[in-house]
Amino acid sequence: MWTFIARRLLQSVIVILGVTLISFISLQMGGDPTYLFVSERASEEEIQMIREALGFDKPLHIQYLTYLGNVVQGDFGNSLSYRQPAMGIVLGALPATIELTLFSMFLAISLAIPFGVFAALYRGTAVDGGIMTLAMFGQSIPSFWMGIMMILFFGLYLGLFPISGHVPFLTPLFQGDFSTAFGNLPNAVYHLMMPAIAVGFYSLSRNARLVRSSMLEVLGQDFVRTARSKGISERAVVIHHALRNAWLPVVTMIGLEFGFLLGGVVVIETVFSWPGIGRLVFNAINQRDIPVVQASVIVLSVIFILLNLIVDLIYVRIDPRVKL
Amino acid sequence: MSNIRSLLLTASASVLLAQTAAAQVSPDTLVVGLSADITTFEPAAVSSRDNANIVRHIFDTLFSIEGDGSVVPDLATNLAISEDGLAYTYTIEAGRTCHDGEPLTAEDVAYSFNRAKDPANAFTGNTPGFVFSSVGFVDAVAIDDLNVQINIAAPNTIAFGLLAEVYVHCKDSYEAMTLEQAATTPIGSGSYKLATWTPGSEVRLEKVNDPGTFQNIVYRIIPEASTRSAELMAGNVDIITNVAPDQIDAINASGTAAVQSIQGTRRMYVGFNLSEPFAAMPGGDAIQNPDVRRALQYAIDVPTICAQLLNFPCERATGIVNPQNANKSLAPYPFDPAKAEELLDAAGWPRLADGNRFTIRFQAGKGRYLNDENVVLAIAQYLSDVGLNVELDVMEWGSVYVPLIRERNVGPLFFLGSGGALWSPLYDMTDLAKVESGTNYTHWNDPRWFDRWTEISAAETPEAQRVIIDEMLKVFYDDGPWLHLYFQPDFYGVSGWLDWTARPDEKVYLFNAKLK
Repeated sequence: MWTFIARRLLQSVIVILGVTLISFISLQMGGDPTYLFVSERASEEEIQMIREALGFDKPLHIQYLTYLGNVVQGDFGNSLSYRQPAMGIVLGALPATIELTLFSMFLAISLAIPFGVFAALYRGTAVDGGIMTLAMFGQSIPSFWMGIMMILFFGLYLGLFPISGHVPFLTPLFQGDFSTAFGNLPNAVYHLMMPAIAVGFYSLSRNARLVRSSMLEVLGQDFVRTARSKGISERAVVIHHALRNAWLPVVTMIGLEFGFLLGGVVVIETVFSWPGIGRLVFNAINQRDIPVVQASVIVLSVIFILLNLIVDLIYVRIDPRVKL
Repeated sequence: MSNIRSLLLTASASVLLAQTAAAQVSPDTLVVGLSADITTFEPAAVSSRDNANIVRHIFDTLFSIEGDGSVVPDLATNLAISEDGLAYTYTIEAGRTCHDGEPLTAEDVAYSFNRAKDPANAFTGNTPGFVFSSVGFVDAVAIDDLNVQINIAAPNTIAFGLLAEVYVHCKDSYEAMTLEQAATTPIGSGSYKLATWTPGSEVRLEKVNDPGTFQNIVYRIIPEASTRSAELMAGNVDIITNVAPDQIDAINASGTAAVQSIQGTRRMYVGFNLSEPFAAMPGGDAIQNPDVRRALQYAIDVPTICAQLLNFPCERATGIVNPQNANKSLAPYPFDPAKAEELLDAAGWPRLADGNRFTIRFQAGKGRYLNDENVVLAIAQYLSDVGLNVELDVMEWGSVYVPLIRERNVGPLFFLGSGGALWSPLYDMTDLAKVESGTNYTHWNDPRWFDRWTEISAAETPEAQRVIIDEMLKVFYDDGPWLHLYFQPDFYGVSGWLDWTARPDEKVYLFNAKLK
């Protein structure tokens, strides 16, 4: 197993190099980034001076190789907008996104599994129809629209939840300030509810459908029939035999979804004024703040790679047939 | 079961506690909802309007430009300009103190200017990038504790107004800080100092000096327009910027807040790209003729565009200058499509068999200005109605920025807005200070405009200068390179309990805001 992990981590270096190169080229395709940092009235001499100060005067391959050389030494460069270390800015925004992603995944999974199981067990009944109708809505409704509707109804009209904003939990926790972290916890969860539901509703729906189809497939197999014939209770058959075997595709999907959500919650972060990495990257791309975009790409790539690795390891754990 | 019940009770209590905490709004705290993230507190790196609106509460300036365009003293009590127009000597008020406790002197003022200019710092904000470029800043020298001399390379008619609002910061503190520290630790002498900054989320200022009514000002970053409106109507914020036109009625009907609509200073227009490469393009040859450009002025119903698409009853612009400084003898072009057709016929561009007079490409960015995409669609339709075969090309603003703003390589027709000011007509006119100016996006080169700048500089009295300005504006009105549209309105949502008046120049200054 350790050989497998080492091989995967080595492969991941190539992947990270690839994504940094692609994002670097993509950002350069929009034209000379210097123009975003000079006035429309600036003279050619002033533009050239700024170009040199920002390092955009050098050939692209030199810029990229210089960047890589610095990254190897732990220097991810300074943000062109914030004038602060780019990695520090990215890591500052990451906890808010992790909070949102984890909480929405928690809501989605904790509801998707019972929904999927009940829909499978009561296939063709009103329970199944109701759950699948809900799942269809969840996959059809755009998350930003749902977010705005929730703000208007639950936030503004009923006043049940805060309309926007973020109360940090993970940041003080990572900083070792446990009293602040746990003191913030109720308010943090309170602020998380609406954005997490808006983000997680799609995952909930997709995973409920996945669990249902997976359960239906497993429930029809011989070993389930054997378990039932041995007189094992239906509850034990479902939980210990069927659900455990139905887990595999769900685990894969959850792992991938977590990675996608980390980088893909930009719309919800915007709607709910959530100061996460999605909004940060979106603004950095608009401002051509290349160091921040590159640092974000590296962080998200590493997380994505690690998640895939963890999913593979969990696979081995829950399915003895899989060998690394 | 009892475990579940106690868990539910705990959760409910937590939510109630959280609700109570969220609802506690202090009467000495003013909360403002902004649409854009701010990025820095480095005074020489500030470039966006939202960023500047916060920073202005921390840093003083030599003079201050009021909402009506008048210029009033701030740090400076007096200004003397040398006879050759190259040296501006300011006398600053005695007794001012920096937030670090040091007295603010002329040395701090000189340091602020020279630091912003220092190439080693590579600052790219409004001060080094726009002000210094525009005035030809050379250096600043402290003459004594209270007098500072700012030197510029050549006489400049708008230097006074541009130099007025450079942020003055405190030398001792900044010399002790790295650039990274300076970006997060502003030390000025203004009414407020920075208390906390959570990037992407919130900025909190604390009052330390007068003027200023509220003890704390909190800026919350709320990018989504409908969320900002909801926060205002719920009473969680007191002022919001950039209200979307389609939400004005909802806010006004809420009973808790109202929208202040104000005609801004940003000049919106359709530009005629008159450069040689575009003259060779379809339609590019037609618009070389001033008669064609004048004919097209009659084709657009600007008041209807304003009313229907911007939710604001704006008056059509007569030129490049904001209304209070405009040539008062000029009336806005009326919407008269019949006259437009008549003039196009007379200019040698009759309708052909297919009903079209000529084909022309119209390029625009979207997502930058108020309801810009729909405005552009409406203009294209109006032009089609008088016989132009318009090839409309609407792109993301990020795609059009470099070719339009930096390379001046978009057209033959393009849609653009340009920031203006009320304190001087010349500020607005300097977009076209020279044929080769970076802001002359149309490549217009009429000598009746460009040759007269030397006369403006040489004019001995404001009255004599005004005569020349009016004549230039008449040329621009008759034969200019802009299809005149409107001054973009700004919409601010304001709580019912707050007494605050929005300004037309996009500046959100809160010194005088108070409870009703």
